[in-house]
Amino acid sequence: MSKPTILIYDLGGCEGCPLSIMRVYPQLINIADVYTKCLGKVDLDREYDYAVVTGPICINSPKHVEELKKIRKNSRVLIAYGSCASVGGIILYARGGQEPRPEHRVYAPISRVVRVDYAIPGCPPAPQMLISLLNCIRRGKGYFLDLFRAVALNPKLSGFDLMDEVVLNGLCVGCGACVLSCPTNALQMIDNRPDLIPEKCIRCGTCTVRCPRFSQILIQRSRLLQKASSLSRISGV
Amino acid sequence: MAYQPVVIDPENPLGYYTGIYLAQTADERVKRKLGPDYKGGGAVTSILLYLVEHGVVDAVVVARRKKGLYGETIIAKTPEEILEATGPKWSIVPYTLGLREKLTSMDVGRVAFVGLPCQAQFLRQVKMFPLMESDFSKKIYLIISLFCMGTFAVESFLNYIKKSYHVSPDEIENISINGDELVVKHVRGEIRIPIRDALFHLQHGCLTCPDYTGLFADLSAGKALKPGFTLLITRTKLADKIVREASNTGYLKLSEPDEESLKIVIEKAREKIMRSYKYLSTVL
Ligand code: SF4
Ligand code: SF4
Ligand code: SF4
Repeated sequence: MSKPTILIYDLGGCEGCPLSIMRVYPQLINIADVYTKCLGKVDLDREYDYAVVTGPICINSPKHVEELKKIRKNSRVLIAYGSCASVGGIILYARGGQEPRPEHRVYAPISRVVRVDYAIPGCPPAPQMLISLLNCIRRGKGYFLDLFRAVALNPKLSGFDLMDEVVLNGLCVGCGACVLSCPTNALQMIDNRPDLIPEKCIRCGTCTVRCPRFSQILIQRSRLLQKASSLSRISGV
Repeated sequence: MAYQPVVIDPENPLGYYTGIYLAQTADERVKRKLGPDYKGGGAVTSILLYLVEHGVVDAVVVARRKKGLYGETIIAKTPEEILEATGPKWSIVPYTLGLREKLTSMDVGRVAFVGLPCQAQFLRQVKMFPLMESDFSKKIYLIISLFCMGTFAVESFLNYIKKSYHVSPDEIENISINGDELVVKHVRGEIRIPIRDALFHLQHGCLTCPDYTGLFADLSAGKALKPGFTLLITRTKLADKIVREASNTGYLKLSEPDEESLKIVIEKAREKIMRSYKYLSTVL
């Protein structure tokens, strides 16, 4: 069987995600035919089995929006990889105040512009993540796969949402998963419940997918969303 | 990777597994520690002792009861520390930042974790899908989950005991289950609370939790029907090997699971999935 083709494409950002992916190239080229700028092959006009997009989309840049749309059209599975591509992350959130442009709020999760199949938070995800994910997609089922599919449909995820949806809703069970998952130590356990230090949260979304309650809510919501959209398609709304 | 993707399904509530055993500790130290009237298993403690004493892992992460309903997570490296943490806990003991710091700084390679199903889910995700470089993914060697129907909202439960039974939190020495009752031993004697009444004080979040046995773990363990026996569910080849080795080296006695214990665990697992559907629909 020939190896699947995979496009790795960076829309911009801090370079953390591309660097993290670069570290698994030696493994990746064994399981896939890799197309990427830094291996000197990139071609947005051919078809791919997988496209892995890193960085947020600048909605004020027609060039990038066109590129992204082309990637979507030409790839079977589109993966938003890393916090910026999947949930907006630090680039959406940071207030740079540069003049005259860009303004940070124009950087959005790529699901704002195209349909995304799987979205992976992480700032950046550890290198091994990509290999695990591809394996999992190949097997085609499981809770975590459902979860990453759900993130693609719910890109508003951060420590603030964890607080609102889980802790303040009385659903937190105090397991501590979120606290151990935060890269900036923005969460701390106080009286067996996480508390957010707002200044420290970089809106990477990691805590939300690691929370057993939030992940469950996300999956359930995405199912409802999908049902609703197929219903509206039938009724022609 | 040998690991099977988890699908939560009321038709198949135990999920994927490779083996189910009825286990009993064969270790004198564990038996002595548990005492003559302890009804639980001690099988997990025995497996942990095997893992550490045979050098399969460098350390185990377990919860230890501190006082009453409160506990703490410890990294145990010696048989003594493991034995000390044995026995039931009634509340969830959160993973904290201190744990990550210790795990990353300590000179330990392979670690076995014992936790509740929600914590097993977290550990599995960390191991399979590392979202951070600082995740301790590589150290997670074995994930053991204890069966769980829900944990107490500690404050609310303690308040209830104080209001209804006039026993203050400081006076509680031990809590155990006997049939349909919770037996709370305190400095002045003991009280018996029907489990039905205590259930009101479960954490709300536990009501939406669909996992009874720990579907994400390598090894799930919980009380069997027969007093003193533990039901073990192995979900990976590694767990199966460990359970057999622990038995071959005299830490555990294994036998076939009895029909009745199996029936009950399947029923409870299904009940928990159905309960979670019901409550989840109210919070979306
Ligand atoms: S609290 Fe931490 S893990 Fe959660 S979004 Fe903020 S920075 Fe990320
Ligand atoms: S991960 Fe979720 S349930 Fe666990 S402590 Fe954090 S908010 Fe609570
Ligand atoms: S019921 Fe679920 S969420 Fe609650 S403590 Fe048990 S495993 Fe964790």
